[in-house]
Amino acid sequence: MTIGPSRIRNGDGRAWAVAAILGLQSIAAAFFAADALADLSRDGLSAHMAVEAPVAFALLAGIVLGARHLRMMMTEARRRDEALAVASGALSDVIRLRFDAWGLTAAEADVALFALKGCDVGDITRLRHTAAGTVRAQLARAYAKAGVSSRAALTSLFIEDLLDAMPPPRTDSVAAHISGGGGDVTPPRGTGTPAVQTMPFSRNRR
Amino acid sequence: MPASDAPRRVRRWDPLVRLTHWGIVASVTVNALVTEEGSGPHQWVGYALAALLALRLLWGLVGTPEARFLAFPPSPARALAHIRDMRAGRQVDHASHNPLGALMVYAIWSCLAVIIASGLAMAPPFAAPKGEPASSGTHIESASVAIGGDENGEGGEHEEGVLTEVHEIAVNLLYLLIALHLAGVIFETRRSGPQVVRAMLPWRSPGRE
Repeated sequence: MTIGPSRIRNGDGRAWAVAAILGLQSIAAAFFAADALADLSRDGLSAHMAVEAPVAFALLAGIVLGARHLRMMMTEARRRDEALAVASGALSDVIRLRFDAWGLTAAEADVALFALKGCDVGDITRLRHTAAGTVRAQLARAYAKAGVSSRAALTSLFIEDLLDAMPPPRTDSVAAHISGGGGDVTPPRGTGTPAVQTMPFSRNRR
Repeated sequence: MPASDAPRRVRRWDPLVRLTHWGIVASVTVNALVTEEGSGPHQWVGYALAALLALRLLWGLVGTPEARFLAFPPSPARALAHIRDMRAGRQVDHASHNPLGALMVYAIWSCLAVIIASGLAMAPPFAAPKGEPASSGTHIESASVAIGGDENGEGGEHEEGVLTEVHEIAVNLLYLLIALHLAGVIFETRRSGPQVVRAMLPWRSPGRE
Protein backbone atom coordinates (compact mmCIF):
# COMPACT_ATOMS: atom_id res chain seq x y z
CA MET A 1 0.00 0.00 0.00
CA THR A 2 2.74 2.43 0.91
CA ILE A 3 4.55 2.02 -2.37
CA GLY A 4 1.39 2.76 -4.33
CA PRO A 5 1.28 6.55 -4.19
CA SER A 6 4.99 6.96 -4.81
CA ARG A 7 4.76 4.67 -7.80
CA ILE A 8 1.99 6.79 -9.23
CA ARG A 9 4.00 9.93 -8.66
CA ASN A 10 7.04 8.43 -10.36
CA GLY A 11 4.88 7.41 -13.29
CA ASP A 12 3.55 10.94 -13.51
CA GLY A 13 7.08 12.35 -13.45
CA ARG A 14 8.18 9.95 -16.17
CA ALA A 15 5.25 10.96 -18.33
CA TRP A 16 6.18 14.61 -17.83
CA ALA A 17 9.77 13.89 -18.75
CA VAL A 18 8.78 12.08 -21.94
CA ALA A 19 6.31 14.85 -22.81
CA ALA A 20 8.96 17.51 -22.26
CA ILE A 21 11.46 15.62 -24.41
CA LEU A 22 8.81 15.25 -27.11
CA GLY A 23 8.19 19.00 -26.99
CA LEU A 24 11.90 19.72 -27.32
CA GLN A 25 12.24 17.15 -30.08
CA SER A 26 9.41 18.76 -32.03
CA ILE A 27 10.93 22.21 -31.73
CA ALA A 28 14.33 20.83 -32.68
CA ALA A 29 12.79 19.06 -35.66
CA ALA A 30 11.11 22.28 -36.81
CA PHE A 31 14.38 24.20 -36.60
CA PHE A 32 16.28 21.39 -38.25
CA ALA A 33 13.77 21.18 -41.07
CA ALA A 34 13.96 24.95 -41.58
CA ASP A 35 17.74 24.75 -41.64
CA ALA A 36 17.74 21.82 -44.03
CA LEU A 37 15.35 23.65 -46.35
CA ALA A 38 17.67 26.64 -46.32
CA ASP A 39 20.58 24.35 -47.23
CA LEU A 40 18.54 22.72 -49.95
CA SER A 41 17.66 25.99 -51.61
CA ARG A 42 21.26 27.21 -51.36
CA ASP A 43 23.23 24.14 -52.40
CA GLY A 44 20.61 21.98 -54.08
CA LEU A 45 20.94 18.24 -53.58
CA SER A 46 24.34 17.53 -52.13
CA ALA A 47 26.17 15.08 -49.93
CA HIS A 48 25.23 17.32 -47.03
CA MET A 49 21.56 16.75 -47.79
CA ALA A 50 22.13 13.00 -47.99
CA VAL A 51 23.09 13.19 -44.33
CA GLU A 52 20.47 15.69 -43.26
CA ALA A 53 17.50 13.92 -44.82
CA PRO A 54 17.91 10.72 -42.78
CA VAL A 55 18.47 12.81 -39.67
CA ALA A 56 15.25 14.71 -40.31
CA PHE A 57 13.43 11.45 -40.91
CA ALA A 58 14.86 9.96 -37.71
CA LEU A 59 13.74 13.01 -35.74
CA LEU A 60 10.20 12.77 -37.07
CA ALA A 61 10.03 9.02 -36.53
CA GLY A 62 11.36 9.53 -33.02
CA ILE A 63 8.61 12.02 -32.28
CA VAL A 64 5.87 9.74 -33.56
CA LEU A 65 7.22 6.71 -31.72
CA GLY A 66 7.80 8.79 -28.61
CA ALA A 67 4.20 9.98 -28.72
CA ARG A 68 2.93 6.42 -29.02
CA HIS A 69 5.18 5.32 -26.18
CA LEU A 70 3.90 8.17 -24.02
CA ARG A 71 0.32 7.16 -24.78
CA MET A 72 1.03 3.58 -23.72
CA MET A 73 2.70 4.80 -20.54
CA MET A 74 -0.28 6.94 -19.68
CA THR A 75 -2.76 4.18 -20.40
CA GLU A 76 -0.79 1.86 -18.16
CA ALA A 77 -0.49 4.48 -15.40
CA ARG A 78 -4.21 5.16 -15.56
CA ARG A 79 -5.06 1.49 -15.19
CA ARG A 80 -2.71 1.22 -12.25
CA ASP A 81 -4.30 4.31 -10.75
CA GLU A 82 -7.74 2.80 -10.99
CA ALA A 83 -6.64 -0.50 -9.55
CA LEU A 84 -4.87 1.24 -6.69
CA ALA A 85 -7.83 3.48 -5.94
CA VAL A 86 -9.99 0.40 -5.56
CA ALA A 87 -7.28 -1.38 -3.63
CA SER A 88 -6.52 1.39 -1.16
CA GLY A 89 -9.53 3.57 -0.51
CA ALA A 90 -12.60 2.11 -2.09
CA LEU A 91 -11.99 -1.46 -1.01
CA SER A 92 -12.57 -0.58 2.64
CA ASP A 93 -15.80 1.19 1.64
CA VAL A 94 -16.87 -1.83 -0.34
CA ILE A 95 -16.11 -4.12 2.58
CA ARG A 96 -18.05 -1.94 5.00
CA LEU A 97 -21.03 -1.63 2.67
CA ARG A 98 -21.11 -5.34 1.99
CA PHE A 99 -20.88 -6.17 5.69
CA ASP A 100 -23.86 -3.85 6.23
CA ALA A 101 -25.75 -5.38 3.34
CA TRP A 102 -25.18 -8.88 4.69
CA GLY A 103 -26.45 -7.72 8.07
CA LEU A 104 -23.34 -8.67 10.05
CA THR A 105 -23.38 -7.66 13.70
CA ALA A 106 -20.54 -5.49 14.95
CA ALA A 107 -18.76 -8.51 16.44
CA GLU A 108 -19.21 -10.58 13.29
CA ALA A 109 -17.96 -7.71 11.14
CA ASP A 110 -14.85 -7.37 13.31
CA VAL A 111 -14.13 -11.05 13.14
CA ALA A 112 -14.77 -11.18 9.40
CA LEU A 113 -12.44 -8.23 8.86
CA PHE A 114 -9.69 -9.97 10.82
CA ALA A 115 -10.32 -13.06 8.73
CA LEU A 116 -10.00 -10.99 5.55
CA LYS A 117 -6.72 -9.62 6.83
CA GLY A 118 -5.42 -13.14 7.15
CA CYS A 119 -5.74 -13.79 10.88
CA ASP A 120 -6.60 -17.33 11.88
CA VAL A 121 -8.96 -18.25 14.72
CA GLY A 122 -6.13 -18.26 17.24
CA ASP A 123 -5.02 -14.74 16.30
CA ILE A 124 -8.57 -13.42 16.43
CA THR A 125 -9.12 -15.02 19.81
CA ARG A 126 -6.08 -13.24 21.19
CA LEU A 127 -6.94 -9.91 19.56
CA ARG A 128 -10.53 -9.91 20.74
CA HIS A 129 -9.90 -11.52 24.14
CA THR A 130 -12.65 -14.06 23.60
CA ALA A 131 -12.91 -17.80 23.49
CA ALA A 132 -11.98 -19.70 20.36
CA GLY A 133 -15.45 -21.22 20.25
CA THR A 134 -17.07 -17.80 20.17
CA VAL A 135 -14.83 -16.67 17.32
CA ARG A 136 -15.56 -19.83 15.36
CA ALA A 137 -19.28 -19.35 15.82
CA GLN A 138 -19.11 -15.70 14.79
CA LEU A 139 -17.01 -16.56 11.75
CA ALA A 140 -19.42 -19.29 10.75
CA ARG A 141 -22.38 -16.91 11.02
CA ALA A 142 -20.51 -14.26 9.01
CA TYR A 143 -19.69 -16.78 6.26
CA ALA A 144 -23.28 -17.97 6.20
CA LYS A 145 -24.62 -14.42 5.85
CA ALA A 146 -22.12 -13.75 3.07
CA GLY A 147 -23.16 -16.95 1.36
CA VAL A 148 -19.67 -18.47 1.39
CA SER A 149 -18.17 -21.44 3.11
CA SER A 150 -14.55 -20.44 3.65
CA ARG A 151 -12.27 -17.50 4.21
CA ALA A 152 -10.81 -17.88 0.73
CA ALA A 153 -14.28 -17.58 -0.80
CA LEU A 154 -15.03 -14.54 1.36
CA THR A 155 -11.79 -12.87 0.20
CA SER A 156 -12.53 -13.68 -3.42
CA LEU A 157 -15.80 -11.74 -3.19
CA PHE A 158 -13.68 -8.59 -2.79
CA ILE A 159 -10.84 -9.62 -5.05
CA GLU A 160 -13.42 -9.79 -7.81
CA ASP A 161 -13.78 -6.01 -7.64
CA LEU A 162 -10.04 -5.52 -7.94
CA LEU A 163 -9.99 -7.68 -11.04
CA ASP A 164 -12.59 -5.43 -12.67
CA ALA A 165 -9.84 -2.99 -13.59
CA MET A 166 -7.99 -5.59 -15.60
CA PRO A 167 -8.28 -5.88 -19.39
CA PRO A 168 -11.54 -7.52 -20.51
CA PRO A 169 -10.23 -10.84 -21.88
CA ARG A 170 -8.49 -11.78 -18.66
CA THR A 171 -11.32 -10.44 -16.53
CA ASP A 172 -13.72 -12.65 -18.43
CA SER A 173 -11.79 -15.82 -17.90
CA VAL A 174 -11.14 -15.09 -14.22
CA ALA A 175 -14.71 -13.96 -13.56
CA ALA A 176 -16.08 -17.05 -15.27
CA HIS A 177 -13.80 -19.19 -13.17
CA ILE A 178 -14.82 -17.50 -9.93
CA SER A 179 -18.53 -17.34 -10.60
CA GLY A 180 -18.39 -20.99 -11.56
CA GLY A 181 -17.43 -21.75 -7.95
CA GLY A 182 -19.32 -19.08 -6.03
CA GLY A 183 -22.06 -17.85 -8.33
CA ASP A 184 -24.71 -20.13 -6.91
CA VAL A 185 -24.22 -19.01 -3.33
CA THR A 186 -24.55 -15.29 -3.87
CA PRO A 187 -28.24 -14.42 -3.54
CA PRO A 188 -27.55 -12.22 -0.49
CA ARG A 189 -25.26 -10.10 -2.63
CA GLY A 190 -28.00 -9.45 -5.12
CA THR A 191 -30.05 -7.65 -2.48
CA GLY A 192 -27.09 -5.71 -1.23
CA THR A 193 -27.67 -2.70 -3.44
CA PRO A 194 -25.20 -0.35 -1.71
CA ALA A 195 -22.36 -2.70 -2.45
CA VAL A 196 -23.48 -3.17 -6.01
CA GLN A 197 -23.66 0.58 -6.53
CA THR A 198 -20.05 1.05 -5.64
CA MET A 199 -18.89 -1.52 -8.11
CA PRO A 200 -18.94 0.65 -11.25
CA PHE A 201 -16.50 2.96 -9.46
CA SER A 202 -13.56 1.91 -11.55
CA ARG A 203 -15.53 2.03 -14.78
CA ASN A 204 -16.83 5.54 -14.10
CA ARG A 205 -13.44 7.02 -14.32
CA ARG A 206 -12.57 6.59 -17.91
CA MET B 1 -20.42 9.85 -2.22
CA PRO B 2 -16.78 9.27 -3.06
CA ALA B 3 -17.71 7.27 -6.12
CA SER B 4 -19.46 10.22 -7.75
CA ASP B 5 -17.11 13.11 -7.05
CA ALA B 6 -13.79 11.30 -7.21
CA PRO B 7 -13.64 11.15 -11.02
CA ARG B 8 -14.36 14.86 -11.29
CA ARG B 9 -11.64 15.80 -8.86
CA VAL B 10 -8.89 13.61 -10.15
CA ARG B 11 -9.32 14.10 -13.87
CA ARG B 12 -6.66 16.21 -15.52
CA TRP B 13 -5.22 16.69 -18.97
CA ASP B 14 -2.22 14.54 -19.76
CA PRO B 15 1.26 16.09 -19.63
CA LEU B 16 1.59 16.52 -23.37
CA VAL B 17 -1.70 18.40 -23.67
CA ARG B 18 -0.70 20.69 -20.82
CA LEU B 19 2.82 21.13 -22.16
CA THR B 20 1.68 22.09 -25.65
CA HIS B 21 -1.09 24.32 -24.27
CA TRP B 22 1.24 26.35 -22.10
CA GLY B 23 4.02 26.26 -24.70
CA ILE B 24 1.65 27.77 -27.24
CA VAL B 25 0.48 30.31 -24.65
CA ALA B 26 4.10 31.27 -24.00
CA SER B 27 5.08 31.58 -27.65
CA VAL B 28 1.97 33.58 -28.57
CA THR B 29 2.57 35.88 -25.62
CA VAL B 30 6.24 36.35 -26.46
CA ASN B 31 5.53 37.07 -30.11
CA ALA B 32 2.69 39.43 -29.24
CA LEU B 33 4.47 41.43 -26.57
CA VAL B 34 8.23 40.90 -26.66
CA THR B 35 9.67 40.23 -30.08
CA GLU B 36 9.66 42.76 -32.85
CA GLU B 37 7.31 41.96 -35.73
CA GLY B 38 9.10 40.17 -38.53
CA SER B 39 12.38 40.05 -36.61
CA GLY B 40 14.56 36.96 -36.38
CA PRO B 41 13.49 36.05 -32.84
CA HIS B 42 9.85 36.53 -33.88
CA GLN B 43 10.34 33.94 -36.62
CA TRP B 44 12.19 31.49 -34.39
CA VAL B 45 9.44 31.67 -31.78
CA GLY B 46 7.03 31.14 -34.66
CA TYR B 47 8.86 27.93 -35.59
CA ALA B 48 8.62 26.73 -32.01
CA LEU B 49 4.91 27.52 -32.03
CA ALA B 50 4.49 25.57 -35.27
CA ALA B 51 6.35 22.62 -33.76
CA LEU B 52 4.17 22.62 -30.63
CA LEU B 53 0.97 22.85 -32.67
CA ALA B 54 2.17 20.02 -34.91
CA LEU B 55 2.98 17.91 -31.84
CA ARG B 56 -0.49 18.55 -30.40
CA LEU B 57 -2.10 17.59 -33.70
CA LEU B 58 -0.02 14.41 -33.81
CA TRP B 59 -1.19 13.72 -30.25
CA GLY B 60 -4.73 14.14 -31.55
CA LEU B 61 -4.10 11.06 -33.68
CA VAL B 62 -2.10 8.80 -31.40
CA GLY B 63 -2.58 10.33 -27.94
CA THR B 64 -4.58 9.48 -24.86
CA PRO B 65 -8.33 8.88 -25.38
CA GLU B 66 -9.37 12.36 -24.19
CA ALA B 67 -6.72 14.11 -26.25
CA ARG B 68 -7.72 12.50 -29.53
CA PHE B 69 -9.81 14.29 -32.13
CA LEU B 70 -12.39 11.52 -31.88
CA ALA B 71 -13.09 12.52 -28.28
CA PHE B 72 -14.13 16.05 -29.26
CA PRO B 73 -15.45 16.16 -32.82
CA PRO B 74 -16.35 19.64 -34.12
CA SER B 75 -20.12 19.26 -34.03
CA PRO B 76 -22.46 22.28 -33.99
CA ALA B 77 -25.35 19.96 -33.12
CA ARG B 78 -23.60 18.82 -29.97
CA ALA B 79 -22.67 22.40 -29.14
CA LEU B 80 -26.34 23.37 -29.35
CA ALA B 81 -27.28 20.43 -27.16
CA HIS B 82 -24.63 21.57 -24.71
CA ILE B 83 -26.11 25.09 -24.67
CA ARG B 84 -29.52 23.57 -23.94
CA ASP B 85 -27.96 21.60 -21.09
CA MET B 86 -26.42 24.77 -19.68
CA ARG B 87 -29.72 26.64 -19.92
CA ALA B 88 -31.53 23.85 -18.14
CA GLY B 89 -28.83 23.90 -15.49
CA ARG B 90 -27.84 20.32 -16.25
CA GLN B 91 -24.32 19.25 -15.40
CA VAL B 92 -23.16 16.76 -17.98
CA ASP B 93 -19.73 15.29 -17.52
CA HIS B 94 -17.61 15.37 -20.66
CA ALA B 95 -14.58 13.13 -20.84
CA SER B 96 -12.78 15.57 -23.14
CA HIS B 97 -13.51 19.19 -24.07
CA ASN B 98 -17.18 20.06 -23.78
CA PRO B 99 -18.77 20.53 -27.23
CA LEU B 100 -18.53 24.32 -27.10
CA GLY B 101 -14.95 24.13 -25.93
CA ALA B 102 -14.21 21.73 -28.78
CA LEU B 103 -15.40 24.28 -31.33
CA MET B 104 -13.17 26.85 -29.64
CA VAL B 105 -10.20 24.50 -29.80
CA TYR B 106 -10.62 23.93 -33.53
CA ALA B 107 -11.14 27.65 -34.13
CA ILE B 108 -7.94 28.51 -32.29
CA TRP B 109 -5.96 25.77 -34.05
CA SER B 110 -7.18 26.90 -37.47
CA CYS B 111 -6.33 30.47 -36.61
CA LEU B 112 -2.85 29.44 -35.45
CA ALA B 113 -2.38 27.42 -38.62
CA VAL B 114 -3.23 30.45 -40.77
CA ILE B 115 -0.86 32.61 -38.72
CA ILE B 116 1.95 30.08 -39.03
CA ALA B 117 1.37 29.49 -42.76
CA SER B 118 1.28 33.20 -43.59
CA GLY B 119 4.31 33.80 -41.39
CA LEU B 120 6.26 31.04 -43.11
CA ALA B 121 5.24 32.33 -46.52
CA MET B 122 6.42 35.83 -45.65
CA ALA B 123 9.79 34.63 -44.39
CA PRO B 124 10.42 31.14 -45.80
CA PRO B 125 13.35 29.41 -44.10
CA PHE B 126 15.08 28.87 -47.45
CA ALA B 127 15.25 32.62 -48.01
CA ALA B 128 17.57 32.87 -45.05
CA PRO B 129 21.19 33.26 -46.13
CA LYS B 130 23.30 30.73 -44.27
CA GLY B 131 24.99 32.23 -41.27
CA GLU B 132 22.56 35.06 -40.59
CA PRO B 133 19.15 33.43 -40.27
CA ALA B 134 18.20 35.80 -37.48
CA SER B 135 17.76 38.76 -39.77
CA SER B 136 16.15 37.23 -42.84
CA GLY B 137 12.72 38.77 -42.29
CA THR B 138 13.88 42.34 -41.98
CA HIS B 139 16.19 41.83 -44.93
CA ILE B 140 13.39 40.79 -47.18
CA GLU B 141 11.17 43.59 -46.08
CA SER B 142 13.75 46.33 -46.36
CA ALA B 143 15.01 44.87 -49.63
CA SER B 144 11.61 44.79 -51.22
CA VAL B 145 10.87 48.29 -50.00
CA ALA B 146 14.21 49.63 -51.19
CA ILE B 147 14.11 48.09 -54.65
CA GLY B 148 10.42 48.61 -55.22
CA GLY B 149 10.88 49.32 -58.92
CA ASP B 150 12.88 46.18 -59.60
CA GLU B 151 11.75 43.60 -62.14
CA ASN B 152 10.04 41.32 -59.58
CA GLY B 153 9.70 43.91 -56.86
CA GLU B 154 6.18 44.92 -57.82
CA GLY B 155 4.60 41.48 -57.64
CA GLY B 156 6.66 40.44 -54.61
CA GLU B 157 5.67 43.50 -52.68
CA HIS B 158 2.04 43.01 -53.50
CA GLU B 159 2.16 39.40 -52.35
CA GLU B 160 4.05 40.46 -49.26
CA GLY B 161 1.34 43.01 -48.51
CA VAL B 162 -1.42 40.44 -48.80
CA LEU B 163 0.44 37.98 -46.58
CA THR B 164 1.07 40.66 -43.98
CA GLU B 165 -2.60 41.53 -44.09
CA VAL B 166 -3.64 37.89 -43.65
CA HIS B 167 -1.11 37.45 -40.85
CA GLU B 168 -2.37 40.49 -38.97
CA ILE B 169 -6.07 39.75 -39.44
CA ALA B 170 -5.53 36.18 -38.24
CA VAL B 171 -3.58 37.43 -35.24
CA ASN B 172 -6.35 39.85 -34.29
CA LEU B 173 -8.86 37.05 -34.70
CA LEU B 174 -6.67 34.94 -32.44
CA TYR B 175 -6.74 37.63 -29.74
CA LEU B 176 -10.53 37.64 -29.98
CA LEU B 177 -10.64 33.85 -29.70
CA ILE B 178 -8.29 33.94 -26.72
CA ALA B 179 -10.57 36.45 -25.02
CA LEU B 180 -13.57 34.22 -25.74
CA HIS B 181 -11.64 31.19 -24.51
CA LEU B 182 -10.80 32.92 -21.23
CA ALA B 183 -14.41 34.08 -20.88
CA GLY B 184 -15.55 30.51 -21.46
CA VAL B 185 -13.17 29.19 -18.83
CA ILE B 186 -14.34 31.79 -16.32
CA PHE B 187 -17.97 31.03 -17.11
CA GLU B 188 -17.43 27.28 -16.78
CA THR B 189 -15.56 27.78 -13.51
CA ARG B 190 -18.48 29.71 -12.05
CA ARG B 191 -20.93 27.16 -13.36
CA SER B 192 -19.26 23.93 -12.33
CA GLY B 193 -16.24 24.75 -10.18
CA PRO B 194 -12.50 25.12 -10.57
CA GLN B 195 -12.05 21.66 -12.09
CA VAL B 196 -11.84 23.16 -15.59
CA VAL B 197 -8.82 25.24 -14.62
CA ARG B 198 -7.24 22.59 -12.43
CA ALA B 199 -7.27 20.07 -15.26
CA MET B 200 -4.93 22.27 -17.30
CA LEU B 201 -2.62 23.58 -14.57
CA PRO B 202 0.94 22.41 -15.12
CA TRP B 203 1.46 21.69 -11.43
CA ARG B 204 -0.30 19.45 -8.95
CA SER B 205 -3.34 21.28 -7.64
CA PRO B 206 -4.33 21.20 -3.97
CA GLY B 207 -7.63 19.60 -4.93
CA ARG B 208 -5.91 16.30 -5.32
CA GLU B 209 -4.64 14.31 -2.39
